[in-house]
Amino acid sequence: MGYALRRLGFYLLAAFASITLNFLVPRLMPGDPASAMFARFQGQMQPEAMAALRASFGLDAGSTFQQYIAYLKHVFTGDLGRSIAYYPTPVTEVIGTGLAWTLVLTGVAVILSFGIGTFLGTLAAWRRGGFLDSTLPPVLAFIGAFPYFWLAMFALYLFGFVLGWFPLRHAYSYDRTPGFTLGFILDAVHHAVLPAATIVVATVGGWMLGMRNNMIGILGSDYITMARAKGLSQRKVMLRYAARNALLPSITSFGMALGFVLSGSLLSEIIFSYPGMGYLLVQAVRGQDYPLMQGLFLIITMSVLAANWLVDITIAWLDPRTKTNE
Amino acid sequence: MKAWLAALAASFTGLSCAGCAIERPEPPAGVLSVSIEQTSAWVKNFNPLLPQGASRWPTRNGIYEPLQIYNGVTHKWVPWLAESAVWSPDLRTLRVGVRPGVLWSDGAPFTAGDVVFTFELLRAHKVFDSNAVWSFLESVTAPDERTVEMRLSRAFVPGMDSLLQQPIVPRHVWEKIADPMTFTNPEPVGTGPFTEVKVFRNQVYEIGKNPRYWQPGKPAVEGLRFLAFPSNDQANMALIEGAVDWSANFVPAIDRTFVARDPKDNHYWSPLFGSTVFLYANTARAPFGDVRIRKAVSRAIDREKLVQVAMYGYTRPADATGLSDAYADLRDAEAGAADWMKYDTQAASALLDEAGAPRGPDGMRQGPDGKPLHVDIQVVSGWSDWVRGGQVIASALRAVGIDAKLRLYDMSAWIDHLQRGDFDMAIAWSGEGPTPYRFYRWLMSPETVVPIGQVAASNWHRFGDARAGELLSAFERTADPAEQGRLVRDLERRFAELAPAIPLFPGPLWGAYRTRRFEGFPSAENPYAKLTPNAAPESLLVLVELRPKVK
Repeated sequence: MGYALRRLGFYLLAAFASITLNFLVPRLMPGDPASAMFARFQGQMQPEAMAALRASFGLDAGSTFQQYIAYLKHVFTGDLGRSIAYYPTPVTEVIGTGLAWTLVLTGVAVILSFGIGTFLGTLAAWRRGGFLDSTLPPVLAFIGAFPYFWLAMFALYLFGFVLGWFPLRHAYSYDRTPGFTLGFILDAVHHAVLPAATIVVATVGGWMLGMRNNMIGILGSDYITMARAKGLSQRKVMLRYAARNALLPSITSFGMALGFVLSGSLLSEIIFSYPGMGYLLVQAVRGQDYPLMQGLFLIITMSVLAANWLVDITIAWLDPRTKTNE
Repeated sequence: MKAWLAALAASFTGLSCAGCAIERPEPPAGVLSVSIEQTSAWVKNFNPLLPQGASRWPTRNGIYEPLQIYNGVTHKWVPWLAESAVWSPDLRTLRVGVRPGVLWSDGAPFTAGDVVFTFELLRAHKVFDSNAVWSFLESVTAPDERTVEMRLSRAFVPGMDSLLQQPIVPRHVWEKIADPMTFTNPEPVGTGPFTEVKVFRNQVYEIGKNPRYWQPGKPAVEGLRFLAFPSNDQANMALIEGAVDWSANFVPAIDRTFVARDPKDNHYWSPLFGSTVFLYANTARAPFGDVRIRKAVSRAIDREKLVQVAMYGYTRPADATGLSDAYADLRDAEAGAADWMKYDTQAASALLDEAGAPRGPDGMRQGPDGKPLHVDIQVVSGWSDWVRGGQVIASALRAVGIDAKLRLYDMSAWIDHLQRGDFDMAIAWSGEGPTPYRFYRWLMSPETVVPIGQVAASNWHRFGDARAGELLSAFERTADPAEQGRLVRDLERRFAELAPAIPLFPGPLWGAYRTRRFEGFPSAENPYAKLTPNAAPESLLVLVELRPKVK
């Protein structure tokens, strides 16, 4: 418990640093939100109105330091301000259009990919040189080497356009009201299959190879030989002795991947017209939308930090040695 | 293991069949599906006073209406909420006769008071006054329920464009709004043909028709549906598949990808009524202050090749007036045929030599100051048509010895450079309006010139000509179309003589439609208005004409 709390202290410090960076980084970009807006309106705006627009965005309100203090105050009261690219909608409402969808789609895809990849990696290493081990890694590496957008467009064309098995776009049918009804959930799952499957297919190879290589290293250890000599069941040796230790490096990368889930998956969102955070992030950067960028970065950094903290705790549980080293 | 796989496969097939039953690409009967704005998720905003583009498309094209609409195809003002708009003899007062019998969608009557209130909102909130009408307005009053008097501080006839096309909001609703600036107007009350928000979700929204619309029997369309597409590719796929009836997207190889799939019902019409695309040379920077250099640059460019490479031949080379086809009836053929628009590299080289920019020992030209001439051409990265155009231009300039490089910038950095005059050359759009007044004011009015470093909303190339200024100011003081026409022709000749900026090609207004479910779209055969939905408020003219097809 003490260990978990000590790590928490470290993460609070990191959180404060990232909140400050969230404020600074957008302001270091060239240009400013009012000119970005002017460009979007193709010049249908007189300079007087532009000046007024700048003022209404609060861009001229006080020095950068004063803006920073106001920003900190707002962050701690949960007020993320009004988006500029989607003016005057509050940032929380803009993020709300994509957050849940990203969380489910990318989250499930990352977990599935990690789960399947790790399991396949374990099996492949266990039966080294077997059928699984000799076919899957090259095939998955081959698929993983395709640019993701190509893979996704191909899947959309084949399974959506030609075969018609899956919808061509969106997260649910137009005439469905979102809600926790069986019909809607099935509909949403049906829409999520293609985008999620393409993410899984594109990333599963990495997890599998990583796990396989770790496993092979571990399988050569003395304690595995020992476990076998004791006459433990194959399954127990594979899962409880080898896989548990081989999992450690994968858990760290899994934590990172999980933390970045909320930054969305831009390409799948664009190709499958799926709502989500990736597109919002790009819009925010394009529109020099400081408040929206700050809001998105805040959520992403917080989730990365939270995921890392969880990884720390999990690793300490899987491998108690890490605790004593401190 | 095998049984498990089979079960998984079965559940997927089960799902997909359930899906087949659910998914219908076409919207319900009578509901028109429009593709214009691109986003991955809709955000509700129906505030018509915010700058154009901040609110959803129907705000200015269905919910709220202006006093009159300028039809850019027939070149006529169409009376809308105002039956008449007449200038006083001294051109200082515009007298507007408000249409009787118009109701707001909540049943309240529309009166002259609503017009006055709207303009007072513009006065109180500068952000709402995108066209800066209060820079020439003195007062807006309503002598009676049916009349509005707009008093100007000086004679300024072109101001009519912004005054008459201002969307009008209901006083009885908006006077209760504490801060109209941050009001997203979730339940709009308007006079337009489509006012009822039926559905609003992140992937789709639908606006139903106004039951109290003032044009009897209209609209014939039951509602408008908008699907969220984050990219052109998705929007085009939906158009081809039949999930969209009317679209403003650019469709590559449209004859093959769209029309050929159903030649009877799939159509497009993309006339060259859009803003002319220019190559701007910063005249405040050497050597572009010299007209001979600008003309030489123009002569070095093969525009036929440019429109093929950059625009796939969907447009034509511009002429020396720079005017798009929207002003075809005002074009002076002689001015348009000026030789500096004709591709001729030898003439370009001769002009450069004459202007004191001879080739150096390495074959590349030096400026009149004796230093090597380096020119950056700024373009927005990702705007692929302009990027291709920039490549053609850069290699054309290198061919006559000017060391030109293409520089790609993010949109906001690019516009920032243009506005502050921090560029050598840039590809950008030009001004639009019912008359070429704004177009030429942007290009050569001394009033729009600001020093380098200060923000200029127009005239980025910093060119002012006193004679053009006089012509423009004479234009402001006449409401006589014949006199206006003469002044425009004089402006064209002045432009053709001075080459303040280098016209490339007029922009097409993309528009595609399907007549499988609806009819009455404007087309080359029936050009009653612009087809593209990207033309607020002119799209109102189309929305009231469309009708479901009787099968």
